[in-house]
Amino acid sequence: MIILKKGNLRIPKWNRKVFAVAGGLTNYKKFCPEMKLEEQVMVAFRQMLENNDLKISPAEIKGLVNFLACGNFSDHFQDQLLCEAKVTDYLGLDPMYDIGIKTGGATGGSTVLTAAMAIASGYADVALAVGWERMSEVDTRTGNYYIANAACKDFETRLSRIYAAYYAPMAVRFAWAYNLSEETRAKVAVKNHLYAYYSPYSQQPGKYTIQDVLNSPMSTYPLRFLECCAMTDGAACMLLCDEKTAYKLTDKPCELFIAGGSHTLRVADRRDMEIPLLPHETPDMYKGLRKKEGQRWPGFESFAAARFAAYFAYRMAGVTNPLEELDLVELHDAFTISDIQTYGDIGLRPYGQEPDYIESGDAYFGGKCPSNLSGGLIGTMHAVGATGIFQGIECLWQIQGKYNKFHGDPKIWESFGKKKPKDWKSLQVPNAKQAAWVSHAGVGSHVTVGILRKAF
Amino acid sequence: MASKSKITKYTGKPAKVLQSEPAIVIEWPRSLAHRHTYGKLSPFFKGLTEGKLLATRCINPECVEHRLWLPPRADCPDCNQPMTWEELPQPVIGTVHTYARVEYAGAGIELTTPYFQVDVELPGVCTIFKGYLQYGTPEIGMKVKACFRTEDPTNTILDMYWIPLADDKAARF
Repeated sequence: MIILKKGNLRIPKWNRKVFAVAGGLTNYKKFCPEMKLEEQVMVAFRQMLENNDLKISPAEIKGLVNFLACGNFSDHFQDQLLCEAKVTDYLGLDPMYDIGIKTGGATGGSTVLTAAMAIASGYADVALAVGWERMSEVDTRTGNYYIANAACKDFETRLSRIYAAYYAPMAVRFAWAYNLSEETRAKVAVKNHLYAYYSPYSQQPGKYTIQDVLNSPMSTYPLRFLECCAMTDGAACMLLCDEKTAYKLTDKPCELFIAGGSHTLRVADRRDMEIPLLPHETPDMYKGLRKKEGQRWPGFESFAAARFAAYFAYRMAGVTNPLEELDLVELHDAFTISDIQTYGDIGLRPYGQEPDYIESGDAYFGGKCPSNLSGGLIGTMHAVGATGIFQGIECLWQIQGKYNKFHGDPKIWESFGKKKPKDWKSLQVPNAKQAAWVSHAGVGSHVTVGILRKAF
Repeated sequence: MASKSKITKYTGKPAKVLQSEPAIVIEWPRSLAHRHTYGKLSPFFKGLTEGKLLATRCINPECVEHRLWLPPRADCPDCNQPMTWEELPQPVIGTVHTYARVEYAGAGIELTTPYFQVDVELPGVCTIFKGYLQYGTPEIGMKVKACFRTEDPTNTILDMYWIPLADDKAARF
């Protein structure tokens, strides 16, 4: 049994404040032969430097950067080792030090965390968090096998060679333990494909019905293809600064907090343990949680890594009740089930009541705390190393009131060879002040929770 | 002066052009075989080929965890001391904790699809062991029996699988 002691539960603390000021994305698509990876990173870098209303020139900003955190998940996919050096050179940031970050699906979150630590420690005043993934070098089934190498090679990989098959048992178990219907899962897919419809960056936009989702081909039962993210080529960049530089660069900085948690790669090995409580929870809430035979926490139902990341990040940021104090969230919906499981981990609902976050309407645009207005992973992208940066940028733009600027401008749609839909609508959350995002890997092996707060 | 026989020659195979527009995309073949060790878990994989299911246990009296580990680990994560091997008594009967039906598998899959992956609880074991069901339809709580591929073994985790206990008359007492 994992027994946590005082030092393990020490709340992370920045030595000085950290701010996010700008972000850049790319068109996300399954196969991007027209650009090499560093060329695609340049697209995101240019958008970050040139289109975020920064008060000094791109050349001057580049003159301030002295650290890069570079996220990319898989050397298998791009078949190019040390491509961090290629990217840093290509962006014209040599000889600034870049560190490659790899934590599976949470690579983007870990990349932002690393860049934030550079700012908080004083190593840098301005740091770039940049991430990318090029998954199109191999066919989809080979890609599935590569990703399945992020399951235990000796005991799990050969048992499916596809990641959906490591989340599907969680979906079966969760439905049994906490009464989750297939329709509720399908609603998550419907919502996120729809929100992707309003995003020029999105890979899998679509107006689907619950029935469309349930009728779509099966990947691993019970997860259908429309409930799963796809392979993506793409990149994302986020600029982080100390307080003084942040206000020099923008009129709309957001303060950043981010923390992570990890747990054993094999879900099998997640022994029962005491639930670390979020600030708004009480021990009584979970007295009856393990009522069914064989139940354990986190077991196959929940993610201890996500719970720990939230445990730390909320306390770092002084969030006492996430549902009341967050205006929106971006969650890691690689699969509908992982999205739903996370509602409990980060306290949008108590454990055991996760489906209610969707069923109550809280999760929708106009609801109490909408999730994945970006289209999420299911609808917009999962270019793995870029994902956790993309999610943070979507939160940043929401708080800066720039959803329309970055999603509604027909020129952005045209630059990607797309046409802005006639029935496009704005998903700008009015007066958004605080947002959180979850970057998640490996059936819950690594999770970061980031929080952005309006500082203007 | 360099002689003509010393001219450097191209000995490779020209890359196949997969597409030329909007950019040139070539095929980049990769065919590799890694050497992978089972390390201190070698007794487990050898055991499977002999029809035995071996688990590990921490015997450090000061440790908080004394249940069996399966998948086994050579060293205890709680006290970091080496663990000892123990064979599970036959027949090995477990309970299905959860399951999934794999329909679309990744490249190189060695089982015919669709098939059921099962996660199995075992008495006295602190972990939940993943495997596959050779036939039948699983449900949570169903009893299953471990079987072994002792003839023509794969030398991988696929050397063991589960069958529904109800269908195995020999295992009924």
